[in-house]
Amino acid sequence: MLDQSVLARCNLFGVLKNIEYLAEHDPESAAFLPERPLSIRFAVHGGPLATLRLNPAKADMLAGRHPATVVLGFASPEHFNRMVSGKANPIPLKGLHRLAYLTGPFGKLTKRLEGYLRPDEATLRDPERFRRSAEMTLYAAMFSLVEIANGDPQGRRSAARIPDGVLQVSVAGSVGVRIVARGGQLSATKGYDPDPRALLHFASLQAAADIFSGKLDTYTALATGDLEMRGYIPMIDNINPVLDLVAEYLK
Amino acid sequence: MSHPVYKTDKSLELFKRALKVLPAGIPGHLGPVESQFIPTRAFPFYADRVKDSYFWDIDGNRYIDYMCAYGPNVLGYNNPVVEAAAAAQREKGDCMALPGRVQVELAELLVDTIEIADWAYFMKNGNDATSFAVMMARAATGRNKIIRIEGGYHGVAAWTQAAGRPGVTDADVGHNIILPWNDVAAFERAIAEHGSDIAGFIATPYDHRIFADNQLPAEGYWQKIRQLCTANGIVLIVDDVRCGFRLDLAGSARYFGFKPDLACYCKAIANGYNISTVVGIEALRTAAAHVFYTGSYWSAAVPMAAAVATIKELQRLDGANLMLAKGKALTDGLVSAAARHGLDLKISGAESMWYMRITNDDSLMLQQEFCAECTKRGVFFVSHHNHFINTSLTDDDIRQTLEIADEAFSIVAGRNPQRLNK
Repeated sequence: MLDQSVLARCNLFGVLKNIEYLAEHDPESAAFLPERPLSIRFAVHGGPLATLRLNPAKADMLAGRHPATVVLGFASPEHFNRMVSGKANPIPLKGLHRLAYLTGPFGKLTKRLEGYLRPDEATLRDPERFRRSAEMTLYAAMFSLVEIANGDPQGRRSAARIPDGVLQVSVAGSVGVRIVARGGQLSATKGYDPDPRALLHFASLQAAADIFSGKLDTYTALATGDLEMRGYIPMIDNINPVLDLVAEYLK
Repeated sequence: MSHPVYKTDKSLELFKRALKVLPAGIPGHLGPVESQFIPTRAFPFYADRVKDSYFWDIDGNRYIDYMCAYGPNVLGYNNPVVEAAAAAQREKGDCMALPGRVQVELAELLVDTIEIADWAYFMKNGNDATSFAVMMARAATGRNKIIRIEGGYHGVAAWTQAAGRPGVTDADVGHNIILPWNDVAAFERAIAEHGSDIAGFIATPYDHRIFADNQLPAEGYWQKIRQLCTANGIVLIVDDVRCGFRLDLAGSARYFGFKPDLACYCKAIANGYNISTVVGIEALRTAAAHVFYTGSYWSAAVPMAAAVATIKELQRLDGANLMLAKGKALTDGLVSAAARHGLDLKISGAESMWYMRITNDDSLMLQQEFCAECTKRGVFFVSHHNHFINTSLTDDDIRQTLEIADEAFSIVAGRNPQRLNK
């Protein structure tokens, strides 16, 4: 059974965090960014607290309490997760004067995000949109992995066995995520580490997309070189059960 | 001297077929993922035939095999003495409605050979043996809990795995107490907390876990464990499945100077024929008889005949000492070759089944590169597990191994100049 609080964290720090990516890499999204800075705090009772800072050309998802123009309240993690699924509305607690942005352009921005994370055939056929879709999917999976490893009971049990070090996840010609393990706790940042202890490398974005969508199984990918692992394998070995949980949380 | 690099295209082709009909393509520990074939394309996936210390893959490449089928190859593949004994028994019968005469002959031989053995009980795999030993400990003591060592491998039954692994429930492992290796004080604390409910203590003769330097028992460790087990009515079980007959034909426990109550054997006892055994002391004979534990093929006579021949050959050759000596010659040469290229190769464990690791990084990436470059040139090394010597390994095999290793170290050093010893 999914832990709703962990799911809320995945939705915030795995899925919605990709608004950062949209602001930076998706020209069409620029039209939906606010003309003047705006910060949206997501205050989930019994769950996570996060602030999404939006500028005309940039976005940042920050954990915790930060100054906010708009505060959206949620009665519970379930409430927040239903909102993400489009089945519930938030409780506006502050910033009602910016409500028009939230119901208008921001809604279109999140719709665009959904289009990339649940790509249709047209998205997959367009090389540039496919690239964005695959990169955002990788980010969503890796940042959610961290939340599950730190919060889900089964995830925590696996994480406790992950040796300390940096696992570098990368895609040839594309993006990378550093996953840092320290004392059974994980954290993730975008980018590359100069001296990782283990590597999980996808030979192409297509391989990464096929593996994440279940079209290509990891055993085939490893044998054919579409996926490569190197370094201190107990790190990867104990992350794998958490990756299985990512599929459960994000399906 | 440069050695040709093998191609393994047929292996990959067959593996792709296998993926359609076999989970994971090659299930279990021989699969390319479980075997840590890094990168996978450097390694063969399928063997075509074997002889002595070699296997040939389905692309026709010959390898000097230092995995020895993960241990069973102890006298050389297709050893003529063992094969003749197996063939003679096969003529008479193998899987029959009754056990063959050879069951008694093998048990007598084991009792005569292994120091602590007053009886022997036969099964098929190491996992059968360790699980039976644990059941016996519980049957004999009426207690529940089993002490085992962190990182210790005792097979694949649910009780041997970690909670949270696919298919393993909390209940499966609920009676395990896991202690660090070489830590007598931890055992004393466990006895203080659970003493009246501890049925058994199971461990390998030394810590030969994967991905880590292997550790021999500290001075007096086993003797103290023996003493505590005796004082607290705990059955002491040695899992000699991997080490068995590669340290001492009378048992690895004798090698380290202590006497367990039960010892589990498998890999080396029949030179590749499928049989395992638990041997034990007189006091546990009744428990062994009363635990219901059997299988369709457990009394098959051919593996027993092979085991008799294997043990007699190992006695004739002084097999354990021979393998220790060959392992010493090989590992000394590997350490020297590594040093010539600015790399530090650490050898741990017994030389007949040594673990090696390049210590210039803490990620095993250099080790993985080294093993891949060796395998691509015909020396089958894997990066995560201890290796094995068999008695058929020749001086020429060792010389050729060291030549290829030298080339592989040179390649690794050339790619990683920043990692080399100054």
